[in-house]
Parts: sequence; structure tokens; C-alpha cells
Amino acid sequence: MSSTSSGRDSVDRRPYDAKSGAPLPQREQPGYYPGFSTLGQKRFWDEATRQKVLDRVHNVPPIRFFLPAEVALLETVVAHLLPQDDRMPSRRIPIVPTIDKRLHEGRTPGYRFAKMPPDGDAYRIGLSAIEHMAKKSYGRAFGELTWREQDELLKSIHDAKPKPGAESVWEKMPIHRFWALLMQDCVEVYYAHPWAWDEIGFGGPAYPRGYMRLEHGEPEPWEVDERRYEWEASRDSVSDPSENEIASHDGHPPAGQGGTH
Amino acid sequence: MNLRQMIRGIAGVAKRPATIVRPADDLGSRWDTFLEKHLPTPLGKEVAEADVHVREGRFQRSLSLMAGASSVLAGLEVSYEHYKGSYGQKVMWTPVVLSGAMTGAGVWGFFNKWAAKTVLRWVSVLTLIDSLVGFLFHVRGIARKPGGWRLPVANIVMGPPIFAPLLFGVSAYLGLIASFLRPEEAPEYIDITPGRLRGIRRFFFGRRVRWTQDIREGRFQKHLAVATILSAFFSGFEALYSHYKNNFRYKAQWSPVIIAPLLMLAAALSIRSPRAARTVLPIMSLAAIVDGGVGFFYHARGVSRRPGGSKTLLYNVLYGPPLFAPLLFAACGVLGLLACLMRRERR
Amino acid sequence: MQSIDFPMHRHAPGEEVDYVIIGVGSAGGVLLQRLARAGFKVLGMEAGPFWDTERDWVSDEAGSHQLYWEDKRVTGGKNPLALGANNCGKGVGGGSVHWAAFTPRFHPSDFEVYTRDGVGVDWPMSYWDLKPYYELLELEMPVAGPAYYPWGDPHGYAFGPHPMGGVGNTLVRGCTNLGIGVSIGGPVAILSGSRGNRPHCIYRGFCIQGCKVGAKASTLVTHVPDALENGAEIRDRCMVSRIHHDTRSNRVTGISYIDRDGKECFQKAKAVIVSGYAIETPRLLLNSACAGYENGLANSSGTVGKYLMAQIGNVILGRFDEPVRMYKAPPAHALTEEFYETDPKRDFARGFAIQTVGPLPIAFAKQMMVARGNWGWGMRRIMMDYNHWSSFGLLGEILPWADNRVTLSHETDQFGLKVADVSFNLHENDEKLREFGRNKTEEVMRAAGAKEVVQEARFAHLVGAARMGSDPTSSVVDCYGRTHDIANLFVCDGSILPTQGSANPGLTIQALAARTADYLISQGTVIFNSDRRDMTPPPVRPELSPPGTHGVGVPRVANLASR
Repeated sequence: MSSTSSGRDSVDRRPYDAKSGAPLPQREQPGYYPGFSTLGQKRFWDEATRQKVLDRVHNVPPIRFFLPAEVALLETVVAHLLPQDDRMPSRRIPIVPTIDKRLHEGRTPGYRFAKMPPDGDAYRIGLSAIEHMAKKSYGRAFGELTWREQDELLKSIHDAKPKPGAESVWEKMPIHRFWALLMQDCVEVYYAHPWAWDEIGFGGPAYPRGYMRLEHGEPEPWEVDERRYEWEASRDSVSDPSENEIASHDGHPPAGQGGTH
Repeated sequence: MNLRQMIRGIAGVAKRPATIVRPADDLGSRWDTFLEKHLPTPLGKEVAEADVHVREGRFQRSLSLMAGASSVLAGLEVSYEHYKGSYGQKVMWTPVVLSGAMTGAGVWGFFNKWAAKTVLRWVSVLTLIDSLVGFLFHVRGIARKPGGWRLPVANIVMGPPIFAPLLFGVSAYLGLIASFLRPEEAPEYIDITPGRLRGIRRFFFGRRVRWTQDIREGRFQKHLAVATILSAFFSGFEALYSHYKNNFRYKAQWSPVIIAPLLMLAAALSIRSPRAARTVLPIMSLAAIVDGGVGFFYHARGVSRRPGGSKTLLYNVLYGPPLFAPLLFAACGVLGLLACLMRRERR
Repeated sequence: MQSIDFPMHRHAPGEEVDYVIIGVGSAGGVLLQRLARAGFKVLGMEAGPFWDTERDWVSDEAGSHQLYWEDKRVTGGKNPLALGANNCGKGVGGGSVHWAAFTPRFHPSDFEVYTRDGVGVDWPMSYWDLKPYYELLELEMPVAGPAYYPWGDPHGYAFGPHPMGGVGNTLVRGCTNLGIGVSIGGPVAILSGSRGNRPHCIYRGFCIQGCKVGAKASTLVTHVPDALENGAEIRDRCMVSRIHHDTRSNRVTGISYIDRDGKECFQKAKAVIVSGYAIETPRLLLNSACAGYENGLANSSGTVGKYLMAQIGNVILGRFDEPVRMYKAPPAHALTEEFYETDPKRDFARGFAIQTVGPLPIAFAKQMMVARGNWGWGMRRIMMDYNHWSSFGLLGEILPWADNRVTLSHETDQFGLKVADVSFNLHENDEKLREFGRNKTEEVMRAAGAKEVVQEARFAHLVGAARMGSDPTSSVVDCYGRTHDIANLFVCDGSILPTQGSANPGLTIQALAARTADYLISQGTVIFNSDRRDMTPPPVRPELSPPGTHGVGVPRVANLASR
């Protein structure tokens, strides 16, 4: 996993302390649960789960689906969709290789929206659309744009009001579905990683040992209490607005696809 | 109506008045004198008399009643705990049935000497056996949870409450003791030569003074101190893991965890030293009783503060803090207090 | 925990069986067990694997995708349904392996919505016909819940309710603050006390990832073991490709399937039961079109694939100042059916339920992506707050509409079979109900003390697409699941439901399967030899329950309301 390539700016992209304005130091483990380690509990997991999770941590799959140029572009895009600049480089969670693995294996979530091409094609078409939009709007390749320009271009896809340059693509492929495909794949990889569980205070695997403190959000004996700190996203970022911005699609936000009940 | 008349009224007996007897060899006699002097009459005399009854093992009626009453608590506790376990196995009904039987036998024993010596005794024995069997089932239940005994902490906390069946046995133990006592109206002096020894007994015990004789005379302080240690351990351990389960959200949740070992220590000292039995044991016993009372209040408040409060009362009683657990802890204190009133064994 | 390691009976190659059941899921598992116990030669065909739960399942959100039907499918229409993990299982146990296991009964009104409200269609049976089977299945799973359940036909549960997690407490607090009744700790098919070698729940919250503990009921642990003990055979990883039909006799003769080695095989059977659920069942019938049934087998009415239903499944999420940690405790542990019935004061027919859900981090991130539009640093920030959120599921009734349907796509899957094309649209009543239910659920979340409330629109469950009815021109099967067209072809799964109420369908599907089994057993060999249709209701047979079903649990508050 390379850290993000961003063209010409050398602005510090770390989040900063709201009061002092100083960038926060990169951490082994950002989030409000310092010292919490799900991997530290692995001897309490069952064998099958332990194998599955450790494989995820230790064996980053090789790139087999994307071409090298596509990988570079997708790495940059993913660094905006789920930035990890608050993490020490050795503790960043690789996302693109796992997406590549899914597409290489042709694994789907069990359905495809009628107006969408197969997922692999959607990625290729979408990535080239991003390049076209960068060229048309800024006259440069996406990788050459400043961090903020990249963020704004991607936000235009999030808002379903794409910057010009790829109209013909979005006529055929619903833009909000493409955005959902990207974001879902990113969170599916990031929040499957034990380091992300530590960050958000999720207990991780729980078999054969289950939970005993079910109420009042009490931590298990091996979990830790929350210790919050205030932070602001990098000033060059537009992905953490103070007001939520939900892209509307035909007057409604798109339906979700998770399975919770 | 004074206390004595009340007791006799309830019991439907009005026999000869008890005379206070103070054998010179007994530390307890000083205690009685103290009570008689410093408590206002006529209460001083009544309390002192009750104390004499206890010391001399003449409290079968009251102990029968106590065994019956504590069975009500234990029975309520076990019936809703097993309800939470859905009565998934038929054997889970046995303590519910037996606690009912214990209550009945205790009340009957209060009114009837014969019932106290027979019905109460055998129901108590049956209940004691059941509590041992229950203990084994609970140990097995923990073993059969995912991870079994390899995850002792998680599975003791979330599995069947391991010592609850033995705690349930404490009221049966009281019933058993009561069955060997003499009723309150019995004469204060008794013949200490062993009664007619039956074949098997003679085979096992020879012609020695039987332990039952000691009990009949109220000489079982050490014995009761051991019972106090055990029940304080069972109850304190229950408090430990259930309060641990709750992450000791309230400071007060530490109190039974601290008091239980102190009570155990006091009772242990009492086995060696008669003095300890008259000093630290009553203090720690009273502490346990007070703590149990306060705990009952907090648990009741905890139930009322659950989401839904009184609108979902039944669920909140079942799944909130266990209402009767602190009272069972207080019962350990009562046991300790009883122990300090006893005379010591001859041996 | 439970391992199924005794030898399975294998029918000889070429041997004709009495019944072949296509799909060993919620309905298939129950059918297989009942018919085997009654002494029939039964064979279950399952496209997915026979799970060894200790080896195959993981306590991990991303690692559990093999439990879901992930073969190729196309979904469209105005409101396309998400499939896969959302509602489709694969492997022995089917969807019951990854359901959240809420098991409310349907209400008596659900069986006559047309008579009462002039919408949808009536069932060819009443609640009272199904009630004995609800009672049986509630013991067989078993269902844990309150001693008195007040909605619909009031009843109680033999297994005690579960303790509350953070989400359940939120729902209880919100409902009681608004004076809304709430059912605490069930009804849910998760053990609250151990049964046999199944330990009780350990409150780990991974229900949807498959219960490694064995506490949550799935037919894999409740019915399949007994089926195998009684001589049933299950051929796993075998995809049924078509049902064979003899035009001259108008009877089905057997099935073709592709075995685990990719070889196509034929299996002869005296009768065929399709239990593939609301998408694969119509797909197989349509793929089995033949002379005499050019539009799909048993589809002379043209209804196969039509009247597909999902339920409105919006997730309402609320942020609390104090931590909740909603990953603990089963997602399903409290609900209210206070708004279940039609209310003349509202401008739509039928109603909804509000239930607890407990999304794990990935599901929660996807919900936040939709509900708050989060991405980038905003996504990282909201996820750091995961432990402060609680979530409710709205479960609303969508009426049966002919344009919500399964058809065959021109695309094919890995076996060369045409895949399902699912089209779904909400209609006016559905939209109104969704809006009202969503607002009510948000109100409950606020009443519980949430400072911020957001929501995600989605759908839950799947039923319909081969519906039952008395009229052969507007339905596919009769009230016992027998196709109107072919006397020895049955459908038994969620697809036969004419309407769906706002209760989770799992219990009803299994109750219907037990009733169909009783009918088939009563008919004996008549079905194998004749086209005669005897519609006499069968006697209820509690003796066919798996061992250990009866005689345990708390005595129930028996039928408080009678007809």
C-alpha cells in the first residue's frame, strides 16, 4: 500500500486540533479507544475466525484485475474516499488490493442493478470518466490536480452533479450507483480490518467467548472506555462538512443495500 | 401482650414458664446478665429468655419458621432464575417444588414437634441433596457453554450461577438443624446420656455422645460458624460476579464483596476463639445484615429505574438486579448472629 | 457447537424417491424432517453446501458472504431490491442460517386483507387453520419471548425472554415514554435456555453471520438432524436445472441437476416439491417450460413470478450522548406491533412493526453513507462514533402487485441457466405507509433520548411470486401448496404467501411447511398414483416433532383469546 500520490500540493493533510490549529500527530491507532486491541484477544477466538482475520491482516492479495495505471488512479481516489493520513504509514489499511481480489474472482453481492454494467466494467468505465472530468474541468490528469481539486471533483460525483467531461458515461451508468459501488467496497475492506475495529471500539469476533455487559454501553473487561478528542479534517478537504449533504436521486436518497433484518 | 405470650399464642401452647438458668461454665451467661440489665424491662427479660432458648437449643419452633421463611426467598429467586433459563430441563423444576415443600414443612414444624422432627428433617435432607445435584448441573452447564471451563470468567458470569444451588441449600441446612433442636417449651435440663441407640448407629458411632445431642443442647457454635463461612462465600461470590458483570457501576456494589470475606474471617476466628464469637462475629454479622437491607433497597430502585420502569414491571423484576439476592446475603449475617448466641460443642 | 456426524442414508443411483424437495431451507428442512419421520423416501436437493458450522462459519462480518445467495441476478424497477445478504440464503438451512430470527405470528387480519380493507387478496385459509402449526413450530425452534404477547391472537411463549442489549433498552424507553406497548426479549427463535446439545445464547450479536453457538434456530440445527436420523438424504452443492414433465399424463417425473462435479444428472421422483424461495422457485418453474406449459411449468394462470413482495425495511438510527455498543446482544430482541393493523384514521391500509436491529460496522458504514451522505473524513468521523448509535428497523407491509415480479433475464449463470430478473415498484399505499412508519419510528427514537436521528430506506424479506389461492386463474397453488396445474407438483416456501402482513415471514413459512407435510402424509400414496384432489384438512400431528420438543419450557398462558 503506497501512501497517496497527490500532485502538486505539499499541504499537510493530517487532521488538526480545533483549538491550537496544529496538525495532530500521526498515530498507530486513531480513534477514541487508545490501547484497545481486538487482535490482542485473538486467543479467545475460534480457529476458523482466527485464520480468516489473520489472513486478512498478514496476506495482502496481489493485483490481478486492474492495470498499473488504473491501480495508481484508484489508489488516489480511495485515499479521498477513506483518507488515512492520521495513521502512521505502517498502520494504514490496504484497500485497493482487496477490491481487486473481489473483481478478479468475479464475486458479486448476489445481484446487479439493471442499469449497471458488471462491477469490473463499472470500475473501468468510472475511472476513465474521472480522468476525463479532470482533463475537461482542470486541463490536467486527475493525479496532477491539487488535493482540494481532487476532493471537489469526487464530491461532484457524490452530489450526483458531476463536473463536465463524462456526460456520455453518466447517461448510461447511474452516477449514484457508481458512487455507492466505490464507497461500499471501500468501507467493506476498511471496516473489516482489526485496526479499524480498534479505532471505532468494536469488539470484533466473539466466539466462543461472547459478551457479558450488554447494557449501558459498558465495556467488556477486555474492552476500554471511550476517551474522546476534538479534531477537524484537513482544511483542504471537503469530505467532512458541518452539515450533512445527502445526494438526492429523483427526489429520494438512494435505498440502502445492507442486510440488517 | 408480651413477646412470650405472643409466641405461645401463635404456637397454641401455654406450658410452664421458662426459668433463666445460668450454668457457671458458660460465657453466654454474662451476656444474658448484660442484656437483662441494660435493655428496658420487660423487653430485657424476653430477649434474654430467647437468648437462653437459643443457647440451650430450645428454639426449634422459631428456627423451623426461619427455615421456612428463607425458603420462600430462595424459592422466589430460583423460580425466576430458572424462568430466565426457560425451564429448558425438567430437573430445573425440583428446587421450585422443594422450596415450596420446605416452606410448608417449616411452618408445620413451628406448630408441631413431630413434624419438625420428621417431615422437616427429611424434606431438608432431600433439599440438601437437590442443592448438591443442582450444583453439579450448574458446573456441567458452565462446561457445556461455548468454550466451557477454558473460558472460566465469561462462562461463570454468563452461565448458570455456580453457587446459587448451594446457597439454596442453606435454608435446608437450617431446617435440618431445627429438626434436631428442642422446642422452646422443653425443660431446660436434659439427660445427656445417649438415648436408645439403634443398631446401625451403634455400629458407626459406638456409645459416644452423639452430635445430635450437642445440637439438642444448643452446643454447636463452631458448627454454625462453619456454615456461616460457607454461606458467606457462596453469597459473596454471587455478588462478586454479578456486580463484575455490571462493571461495578456503583461504588456500593463493592460492599458485599468486601463484607463477605470479613464475615468469613470473623466466623473462622470464632471457631478457634470463643471471644471472637462474642465480638467480631456479631459485628460482621450485623454489617452483613445491614448491607443486605441496603442492597435490597438499591436493587429495588434499580428495577424501578430500568427502561420502561413500572410499565414493564414484570420484565424489569425478572431481568433487573435480583431483588432477593441481597436478602440472602443478609441471611448469612443472621446465621453468623445465631452462631454467636450458641454454646460451644463439648468436643 | 452442534455437529452432525452420523452417516446419511444414500439412495441408490437411479432409485426413484417418493418426494424430492428442491431447496433445504426454512420450508425444505421442515418438510424433509416430517416426511422422513412419516416413513417416506425423501431426497433434499441443495445448491449450497452442507455446513460444518465450526469449520465453515466465522465470527466475522466480511468473512460470512458464503452464507448468502451470491449467484448472478439482475434487479430493477423503480425501487430495485437489494438481494444477496439482504434476504437470500444458500446452503443447508437456507435463509434460516442468517435470519435475525424474529418470529412473530401473522395476525388473524393478515389472512383476509381484501375482505377487511379491500386491498391485496384473501388467503385460501384462515389464521385458525395455521394456528396449531404456529404453536408446534414455536416449540420446535423453540421461540423465546414474553409469557403474554398481546397483539394479533394473544399468546405466550414456552421459552423465557432474553436480556436486553443497548438497542432493546432504547426501544423500550422510547415506546414506554410515548405510551406504546412493547414486547421485550422476543419473540425470537434463539435459545434462552439450553436444549439438548444446543447451548443458550452468548449475546455476541453475530446472528446474521450464522450462529456458531447453535443457539439461534435454523432448520440446519432444528430439523435436518432428525430428518437424517430418519433416513432422509440431502444432496448438497447440487443445482437443480429443471423439473421434468410428462405431457401425456400431465405429471412431473423427476428433476435434472448439476452435481458438485459439474455433471448433469437425472433423479426420478413420484412427486416434486419446490422450496427455493421467492426468486429461485419462480425461476426454476419458468426455466422448466415445456410442451403444454410454454410460459413456465404450472403457469397456466400466468401468475408464476408475479406478486413478489418485500417489506418496507427502513433503518432509523439515533445518536445518544451515552454509549450504546449496539454490536452486543442479538440484533433481534424487542419489538412493537402497536401499529400493525389498519387504522381508519390513517390514509393507507395495513400497518407496520418497529423492531430492534444491530448493524455491525460494515453494515453501519453503508447505512451512514446513505443516511447522512458520509464519505472521506466524514465517514471516518461518524464511524468513530459507532458506539453511540442505536438503530431500529421499520417493518412495513407492502401489498401484492402484479408488476412486482420475477422474470427470466437473457443472461445466464455459471451453469448456463437463465438468471432471474427482479423488478420492484412501490405503489401509493406502500409509499404512504413507509412515510408514516418512518416518521413514527423516528419519533420513538427521539423519545428514547436520541439527539440526532437519521434514516436509510431499504427493504427486508421476500415472499410471493407463486402465490396460493382458491382460484386457479389467479394463483399458482392451492392452500396445501399443490399446483393447480399438476397434481404431483408442489410449491412450499415463502413464495406461496398471498400477502405478508408486517411480521417477519420465517415462522409462517415453517408453519405452512408443517401443515403441507401433514397434508401429504394424510394423502399417503394417493398423490403418487392419482390426480384426485382431496381437500379435507389433515389432522395436526405433534408426534412428528423432532425429539425433545415437547414437555420442556415454562407452562404457557394458553389461548387467552379464542375465536
